[in-house]
Amino acid sequence: MRFTIVAILGFLIGAAVFANTGHVERKLLRADPDILTSDPALLRFAIRRGRPLFMNHCAACHGVSGAGNPVTGVPNLTDGDWLYGSGRVADIEQIIEYGIRSRNSRAWSLAIMPAYARPRPNPGDQNIKPLTPGEIGDLIEFLFRQEGRTADAAAAVRGAALYGGDAGCYDCHSLDAKGDAAIGAPNLTDDITLYGDGSREALFLSIAFGRQGVCPAWIKKMSAADIRETAVYVYSISHRDEMPNAD
Amino acid sequence: MPTDSQAKTGAWRDPTQVSSRRSFVLMTMGALAGVGLAGYALFTARGASTLWVPAEDVALVNQQPISRGDFLMLLQTLYGVDLSHATREQQQKVLNDMIREELFVQRGKELDLASSDPEVRSALVNAVELEISENAITAQPSEAALREFYAQHPERYVSEGIMDVRDVVQGHESGKTKGDEFYFAAKLHLGDQLFAIARELPDGGVSSPISLSDGIHVLYMVKNKRPVPFDFAKARPQVLSDYRNQAIEQLKAGDESFLRKRANVRVADDLR
Repeated sequence: MRFTIVAILGFLIGAAVFANTGHVERKLLRADPDILTSDPALLRFAIRRGRPLFMNHCAACHGVSGAGNPVTGVPNLTDGDWLYGSGRVADIEQIIEYGIRSRNSRAWSLAIMPAYARPRPNPGDQNIKPLTPGEIGDLIEFLFRQEGRTADAAAAVRGAALYGGDAGCYDCHSLDAKGDAAIGAPNLTDDITLYGDGSREALFLSIAFGRQGVCPAWIKKMSAADIRETAVYVYSISHRDEMPNAD
Repeated sequence: MPTDSQAKTGAWRDPTQVSSRRSFVLMTMGALAGVGLAGYALFTARGASTLWVPAEDVALVNQQPISRGDFLMLLQTLYGVDLSHATREQQQKVLNDMIREELFVQRGKELDLASSDPEVRSALVNAVELEISENAITAQPSEAALREFYAQHPERYVSEGIMDVRDVVQGHESGKTKGDEFYFAAKLHLGDQLFAIARELPDGGVSSPISLSDGIHVLYMVKNKRPVPFDFAKARPQVLSDYRNQAIEQLKAGDESFLRKRANVRVADDLR
């Protein structure tokens, strides 16, 4: 008899936990993702469930801590600097759903970094012409100057003319070189570098041979709840000061 | 000596004794649990006809869900606001637009527009190709697979050579080249024949006279920086991209082969 009672109790507790989890998950999905931080219980629930999802789907590239890898050009998700959007939960969720250059028709794929040391720097845009090694060097000096680093003054002036002229860099990175999060063009005036260590050699590689990182679209591989929970987890590791003291 | 009622209670509690009351209660509980689970599954399973809208959607149009994520994205795109800052009218406008689109898509399927409208056909072909590519991109190759690919295609992962060469024709510089140039640019400016000779010259080297239709050329190589292989770390982003592109092409070919095998294609006699 005792066994029967224990089995029934176990079943009832399991059913209650299952029902409650489903209830909270529905609440999470219906909530405005951008005001989730105002509900600590919901936030904790999402973070707890989002962490293993992040480990399964994202950590292979972004690392277990989410710090990324400048060698492979995988962005750091913990530094508060966002290539696409402004780091809102909804922005992160959109990237997880549709990806970046993922071949999903809703992915972020408006721009690529042309390869200026190739005969056709951007196969999709015939207006972008190749640069000479010297011109790439001038651009690098201009970028160094914009970052406040020591640069060859004359070369930087020539680089500025190229940046705003024939090279067409301004078109994506904007005239002040501060980038454009609407198309994923990085800010070139700060000390955050996506590829390499920010040295002249690393910049030369980026300008000469181009960049076009990819993030897969998970919409067909993960449920809506999983995507929301992963997005909240990513938000939590980049906004630690806003997080409740748990987990 | 136990009474009848004590005996019955004892039988109910003692699993070694048969109790019709206990059997009935457990069977009822099992049946109720089964009905509950079946009902839950019936009304929440993806694709099932449901009376309520799943939490991840904002509407169901003939059981076809309209995603909440897409709704939020459209709200942001159209009005630049998130859900909590959107007015009721803005929300209704976006929702109505999405329902309208879904209704028209469904009508398009009913009318079988894909069989007649070239734009729909083209969009479908493109969408299927993208779908294949998307699947290939979601699969993350191992580092060992990338290194193997890198080792198999060393010619792809080299820097572009740089040369500063002067082309002298009949004692005057031709002006075809100007300072440091990447190899591809120098080839374009000098032409294939002169470039082939130039690329072999060392720094400070001078070529033998080369007779061409426009005169006799002599090449003087100021600086020749030959292409160098990138190590794996430098080449990795490109290796990954190339690896994925190859996987996409293989998947596309595989899908097409599968579709052809599965299909019943009959070709007219005169075109066989």
